[in-house]
Amino acid sequence: MKPAPFDYYAPKTVDEACALLAEAGGGATVLAGGQTLLPLLALRMSQPFILVDINRIASLKGVSRANGATRIGPILRQNEAIADTTLRQTLPVLVTATQHVGHHQTRNRGTVGGSIALGEPAAELPATAVALGASVEARSVRGVRRIRAEDLYLGPYATSLEPDELITSIEFPDGPADAIPVFREVAQRPGDFALIGLVGSLAFDSGRISRAGLAWFGMGPTPMKARQAEQALIGQSLAGLDVRAIAELAVADTEPFDDRHASAEYRRTVGRRIFARTLSDALDVRNAA
Amino acid sequence: MSQAESHAGMIGRRLPRKEDGRLLTGRGTFVDDIVLPGMLHVAFVRSPIARGRIRSIDTSVARESPGVLAVFTVEDLDRIPAKLLSFYFAPPCEPPVPLLARGTVAYVGDPVVMVVAQDRYLAEDAASLVNVDYEELDPVVTIADAMRGPPVHAGTDSNVAAAMGNEQDDELEERLSKAPYLLTRTIRHQRISQSPMETRGVVVTRQGEELLVYITCQSPHLVARYLSLALDQPTLNVRVIAKDVGGSFGLKNHPWREEMSTIVGAMLLGRPLKWIEDRWENFVAANQAREQEITVRLALDRDGRMLAAHSDYSLNNGAYPQGADANIAVHLFMWAAYRMPHPGFHTRGWFSNTVGLGAYRGPWAMESLARETLLDIAARELGIDPVELRRRNLITKADQPCTTPLGIPLEDITPAECLDELLETLDVPAFRAEQAAARKEGRYLGLGIAAYVEPTGAAGSIAPMTGELAHIRIEPTGKVTALMSTHSQGHGTESTMAQVIADQLGVAYEDVAVFEGDSSRGGFGPGAAGSRQGVIGGGASRRAAAILREKVKRIAAHLLDADVDGITIEEGTIRVAGAADRTRSLRQIAEIAYGEPSRLPPGMESGLEAQYRYDPPPMTFTSAAHACIVEIDPDTGFVRIRRWLSSEDCGTIINPAVVEGQIAGGLTQAIGTVLLEEAGYDSRGNPLAVTYKDYLLPTIADVPEFEFLHACTPSKSEGGFRGVGEGGAIIGPPTLFNAIADALAPFGAPPLELPLTPAKILEVIEGRPIAGKSAETVVQAAPVAPPVVQEAAPPPQPAPSAPARIDGAWKMVLATPMGPQDMVGRFTTEGSVLRGSLESPEGAMDFEGTVTDSQLHWEMKVKKPMPITLKYDLVVDGDAISGKAKLGIFGTAKVTGQRM
Amino acid sequence: MSEHRIDVTINGRRQQTTVEGRKTLSDFLRIDAGYTGVHVGCEHGVCGACTVIVDGLAVRSCLMLAVQADGSAITTVEGLAPVDGSLHPVQQAMRDEHALQCGFCTPGVVMTFAALTSGPDKPDAEGLLDALSGHVCRCTGYQGIRRAARKLASDGGTERS
Repeated sequence: MKPAPFDYYAPKTVDEACALLAEAGGGATVLAGGQTLLPLLALRMSQPFILVDINRIASLKGVSRANGATRIGPILRQNEAIADTTLRQTLPVLVTATQHVGHHQTRNRGTVGGSIALGEPAAELPATAVALGASVEARSVRGVRRIRAEDLYLGPYATSLEPDELITSIEFPDGPADAIPVFREVAQRPGDFALIGLVGSLAFDSGRISRAGLAWFGMGPTPMKARQAEQALIGQSLAGLDVRAIAELAVADTEPFDDRHASAEYRRTVGRRIFARTLSDALDVRNAA
Repeated sequence: MSQAESHAGMIGRRLPRKEDGRLLTGRGTFVDDIVLPGMLHVAFVRSPIARGRIRSIDTSVARESPGVLAVFTVEDLDRIPAKLLSFYFAPPCEPPVPLLARGTVAYVGDPVVMVVAQDRYLAEDAASLVNVDYEELDPVVTIADAMRGPPVHAGTDSNVAAAMGNEQDDELEERLSKAPYLLTRTIRHQRISQSPMETRGVVVTRQGEELLVYITCQSPHLVARYLSLALDQPTLNVRVIAKDVGGSFGLKNHPWREEMSTIVGAMLLGRPLKWIEDRWENFVAANQAREQEITVRLALDRDGRMLAAHSDYSLNNGAYPQGADANIAVHLFMWAAYRMPHPGFHTRGWFSNTVGLGAYRGPWAMESLARETLLDIAARELGIDPVELRRRNLITKADQPCTTPLGIPLEDITPAECLDELLETLDVPAFRAEQAAARKEGRYLGLGIAAYVEPTGAAGSIAPMTGELAHIRIEPTGKVTALMSTHSQGHGTESTMAQVIADQLGVAYEDVAVFEGDSSRGGFGPGAAGSRQGVIGGGASRRAAAILREKVKRIAAHLLDADVDGITIEEGTIRVAGAADRTRSLRQIAEIAYGEPSRLPPGMESGLEAQYRYDPPPMTFTSAAHACIVEIDPDTGFVRIRRWLSSEDCGTIINPAVVEGQIAGGLTQAIGTVLLEEAGYDSRGNPLAVTYKDYLLPTIADVPEFEFLHACTPSKSEGGFRGVGEGGAIIGPPTLFNAIADALAPFGAPPLELPLTPAKILEVIEGRPIAGKSAETVVQAAPVAPPVVQEAAPPPQPAPSAPARIDGAWKMVLATPMGPQDMVGRFTTEGSVLRGSLESPEGAMDFEGTVTDSQLHWEMKVKKPMPITLKYDLVVDGDAISGKAKLGIFGTAKVTGQRM
Repeated sequence: MSEHRIDVTINGRRQQTTVEGRKTLSDFLRIDAGYTGVHVGCEHGVCGACTVIVDGLAVRSCLMLAVQADGSAITTVEGLAPVDGSLHPVQQAMRDEHALQCGFCTPGVVMTFAALTSGPDKPDAEGLLDALSGHVCRCTGYQGIRRAARKLASDGGTERS
């Protein structure tokens, strides 16, 4: 289990990085936190000719606020995100979700951007980005474009990023100030990828649900947005809510799979249960408030 | 010498371990820490298919790869003959196990080519450039495949690797059919990866006539003996060193294909070689354990008293087991703790195109899983409390001594007493009330209880299982050095043996240094196998230290003009009763013992050195009863363990922290077995768990705090010790399974199929299929061949036309389950009367039988290893003799031979 | 294939050398620098045995390239105990609590404890146990590790699991 040979570059600027990616013509891989990439290299499941390490690009770090959105540099470490005061205030769901990514030791290296760029279907952060309506800024020598998170994921570990593109920021639009965070993960052991996960937020206006952003992880080949359930929730008051019926709608938008750890039917069954339970809990929080 | 005599109060104390200082500061010496000048590195090219023929191997590109010094195929390695043996030092099976694939591959991961390069990175680069062309064949993967599929090994007529017991026992069948209550269940146990945190590895160098092998193993002495036999080069001195070993759990009993290839490669190249298995290799190519199934029929009377039982057992041996095995121990110990009057069994091991069978902590543990889960089911069906059902059947102190129907003598097992002690601490009625209240709230609690006995400290039964040797000396400095035949892979024998020695000698624990891990020090011992080292090594340490203590006393009495009985040794100080002025340090005595022999008692050997090889009684039993309380989340099927109590009797305890560590480790492996771990294959024989993302080991969050109760009934072994290494892994699975079944009782019964994944549990809760795959693309398994009727030996042939010449001496081999046994038979015939004798290394025995034409028949009773009747049926054909011997309950063994 | 100059400080000693781009930090520390207390149990970031401290943080050294450590200060298990032969408080707690058997996973466990308990923001027992879920021990059943965590925690071990 030793990586195959590659040329290693650690550019200092985004332009340098993009130039390297362009030059490699698809033979390059971007190294961010490396917590998923290094095992793939060690198992020789990934054998790039060129590794572009973006950890030394200062402009890719940090958290900032602008135009009603929170902008996260892709190489923000997951543990930095958890400790970040801005994120704790503006994106508590992201902080909670990040606490469930891997283990303390991997979160010290693993990045928010790396996890979002990779698109592991059972990972917490891609689904969080989808649920909260985030978008990524992708740069290449050809220019800059913005991709909505829900358009980013095509399949397991497959994204709409071109091989020469680098994610240079992730933007989460501000939600209503009193939105209620929603997060539930079913995993066999701490740090494992989820068997089933649900993430998002609910906002209220005059006692009725005004906004709902919910996405599943571990429930399909990509993060799965619970569109029908979101629509059904909008405008509902707490009293009249049929939690079970909405859970049924939420699962209808998934494409669960069989794998070594759980069957599709298990995922569907538990998905329904945890959706109902999570929604009830969230509404209890709302009632108590 | 009294059983539990303690001289310095050192026994039973939670002393800190001697090993820990170096291990905590990163100064241990594991095999990968060994670096030798000129050392090269090995990587293997492995088969990507489970079964196939090798059409061609092209190594030309790999040979030109940077840093490569050699690329070996099996034909290259053949230049130095090396024979892989089983743990019993017998050739494991026919056909022989090749070091690298010879013409065919038999499992995914089968090593085909060995690359040697300057470092591991370069070796792996070159390995990826070897081109092997395979003709792929349909594999035999599961036990069911093996039963009906074509033979895995060419030249064999079935996939039966080993078999024992009776396929048909009419008397037992009648007992079962007439019983008022008969419970039949099949239990399936998944394949387990032993998964020591340190994988396999070897560093080897040849220095003149010395072959120096650093290897991670369970006993450097056993490996040295194994290599001597395997290489069979009379002038070669084999020295094996294993200082620190990162766990083993049965995996590292002895070298296997990759280690032996590396050793042969180093001899061929004349350069030191290192091979360190990576984790992927450990999952695809290191031997695994436990894939087995058993169908038990248990007959009880209406009061739940045992009447009879039959077990039909199968074990997946893989392609190249480290010893073809039908796991007879499952049957020997299945009912050993219970009053089971009529047990019977049929047991088989099966070859398949999977990685070979190795040992795993408590290799026979299936007996406890099967028995204890069935007892709970029977209790539920008969409406008897599960504790009460066990109490009605467990053998108590009052029942002993006795001998089980399978010939195991019991003198002092205490499972019933352990159960009583457990129930004094665990308030079952209170739990039942809590459980009932919780159920009303939609919470599901369960209590599981199980009891068992475990044979420990076995010695003298089979070739490798010897006694243990302690060589102890008091140095001229007064410090104590012990060279032990024991070996720790985490067991802490450096500490526990030092505790025993310090106790006997009356010196400080800190003043005793124990050395093990080098075959050139101490003497032969098989290491960790069958919970034996505490019992036998502890006994050897006590005896050797006692000899030395008496010598010190005699010298002191002589020098100080005192009576031997008035001398005491405490904390390294020698005192004479009633004469404080005559106090001496151990160092003063030692200096005289070594340096001034003329002052010693007349005729006494100088120095302070002693050694003792201790042979314990044949078996020393440990008993236990465990209880576990779980809560199951009805939404997810997740199991949370809320409490776990262990009530065990492992005799006199040397160090409770070490004992509890062994039990806790075994229980944690049990938790993994029941809930998490599974090393399975798909229908094409591709391993499904090749990383720790797929093979789930328990973490700190999965394991509760265990509570321990110790009964401490001294055994009849020296020191009163009983073994404790394996017990947790044996009794843990049924305890946890029973707790889960109890929690699920309102819904139904969980499948008797490990692991109990959340999906399987949710299936019980929901009462509909959930765990199964939705739209599985079924890949065609091995083609179904007509069932192969298994015959352990060819039936005696009709007599040839001319009367055979029988009288005379015959050299014969009996193929026993523990390896071939050489014998010499001498026959004389008189009409139809056959008289003769049979000589084996164990001794000679006369017999009388019958002869019909060329067919010989006789019976003889043997006492060792246990009392059984052997029935021989042989046929003479010219100068050849062949046939079979029925070994009582142990089935049939093949006999072959020639005229001498 | 590429060779790179790196400048690292390991256990307080600065070292300048060259490494190939693909060499993992764990292999560099073990093979090139000689710190064999860094144990490699899985090489894919799950078992935790190779955990070291890089710039104050506990990380998996098998999940970093050596070249990425350029300019960093690294502490391995060899760098904790003072030279007088006494043990670091983490090591002492683990010894006292019998928190190890074979000792192979131990250096990683020690380094996570050391990284988390050396600073002013020492976690409570729950926080320590959460971080310990990133280590696999096949021997002990975690009993002694849990006791050591309680001892080393800021709350002195009020956690009950």
